[in-house]
Amino acid sequence: MSELLDGMRQSWGLLAGSRSGVAVIAARTVLISGAATILAVLIGVPSGYAIARTRFRGRTLVLGFINTAMGMPPVVVGLVVWLLLVRSGPLGYLDLIYTRGAMVIAQFLIATPIVVGFTVASLQALPPRLPDLLAVLGAGRLRTIWLLAREAKLGLLVAVMAGFGGIISEVGASMTVGGNLERSTRVLTTAIVTETSRGEVERALALGVLLLALSFAVNLTLTVIQQRRRA
Amino acid sequence: MDVRVEGLRFDRDGRVVLDIRSLLLRGDRTTAILGPNGAGKTTLLRLIAGLEPATAGRVLIGDTVVRPRQRPDVAFVFQENVFLSQSVRENLELGLRLRRVPKHERGVRTDEAARLLGIRELLDRRADRLSGGEGRRVSLARAVCLRARVALLDEPLGGLDPATYARLLDELPRLLGAFGSTTVIVTHDHREALRLAQDVVVIVDGRVRAAGTKDEVVSNPGAAVVAEILGYTVIECDGHKAGVRPEALRPGPGPAQFRMTVDHLIDLVDHQEVVGSIGSVRIRVPLPRGLPAPKPGEAFLLHADRTCSLD
Repeated sequence: MSELLDGMRQSWGLLAGSRSGVAVIAARTVLISGAATILAVLIGVPSGYAIARTRFRGRTLVLGFINTAMGMPPVVVGLVVWLLLVRSGPLGYLDLIYTRGAMVIAQFLIATPIVVGFTVASLQALPPRLPDLLAVLGAGRLRTIWLLAREAKLGLLVAVMAGFGGIISEVGASMTVGGNLERSTRVLTTAIVTETSRGEVERALALGVLLLALSFAVNLTLTVIQQRRRA
Repeated sequence: MDVRVEGLRFDRDGRVVLDIRSLLLRGDRTTAILGPNGAGKTTLLRLIAGLEPATAGRVLIGDTVVRPRQRPDVAFVFQENVFLSQSVRENLELGLRLRRVPKHERGVRTDEAARLLGIRELLDRRADRLSGGEGRRVSLARAVCLRARVALLDEPLGGLDPATYARLLDELPRLLGAFGSTTVIVTHDHREALRLAQDVVVIVDGRVRAAGTKDEVVSNPGAAVVAEILGYTVIECDGHKAGVRPEALRPGPGPAQFRMTVDHLIDLVDHQEVVGSIGSVRIRVPLPRGLPAPKPGEAFLLHADRTCSLD
């Protein structure tokens, strides 16, 4: 317990200390996971809408793949992305391996199925006749999508939170494709692993507390948006 | 404005759900679409509203061909209450906003519909938290607001408790007047249909089996299946079928008489009822005072003042 309290005390100290570079790592963590989440939302929400609203052959199979991918181990995703981006790989010419771009790609691939899965579930939970109602009231395609998204706001924000939560806390993919380079690709989770392996447990704990605080801040913001007008 | 259905067919999963060669729903009148569950009534309504693409044929509202998702000028009351999770007022105004009705006009129409349906006190409540009866009223008000050329009501009184049902059934004829348009009501209850509509269409297995004014259809249902849907008891007697209103059957001889085999008597304190069967049809008639009670297994003569002969 005292170690945890020490960790919390140290996290503030680390963040305040300009030479530690922790603030930079924290900012990098939010930027990489934030960018991956935004991309996952841009691709995942429309895909989830399409899957929820249309009937096509193999739909159940697609949903089965998505549900499986929601629980995909990040390190496996990292390995696949590494194989694609490594110099000798098919996308090696992009020169992305061990860059923040590679980390965004890996995290995007982890977050997207989560966003799609939650989007499908939240849209399917709406009254089945709602799209028909909007159509007969005179809503066009885009207006219908907007109104349905607004109705499914709670579920869609859960999708965003789950996607962000899933990638800000992962270490396997970031370590594999980012390489944990101190000045360019180190993020809070990989920094925690590094500090732990060095025996700097208190520092690792402090970074952990910081990671939790960041995650909490982002999720609290989304929760406030989610719960607005619920009364 | 007339609604015309021409060579309309709708298939689902390789099965013909609806197949109507020709049907006219006359303008500025109320037409009831009657039929058993799964007959294709709701599908017809959805095709008129452009919510489903027809496999073949077309629907015309006036001279305009209805195309899927092209927003024909219709108001639709669904079988279930469906609302956005907003206030009743916002729900009523949504269709008007989508149809670009000016703000002032929106307020006027919403208030008028709310007054008509007696829901003014509900306007600021969340629509998705209303009771079933309140929700029905709001659904009807939303349709009234639109002042559409065609109003389509799918089982508008379905799923209501008996008291709310009776109250809304009393009010509905007045409300239908407020639609001021061609109104089509889907129902499986013949009493509801005959009370609310001027014209009746009977659909069985996706095909129109009878259509016309309610007097025409009720006085000459033609087929036994249509007669049953219209509330007749179909009795087979001497090799031919006759449709009889159950309430028109009386004990004793008459111009059209039937022999019922008595099964048992029910004592209802102030009077008795005789339960029996004519062929395979179960019949229950009140026993007039003074008439001796028949015994089980005995033949009991009944007559009806009016019958209709069936194919």
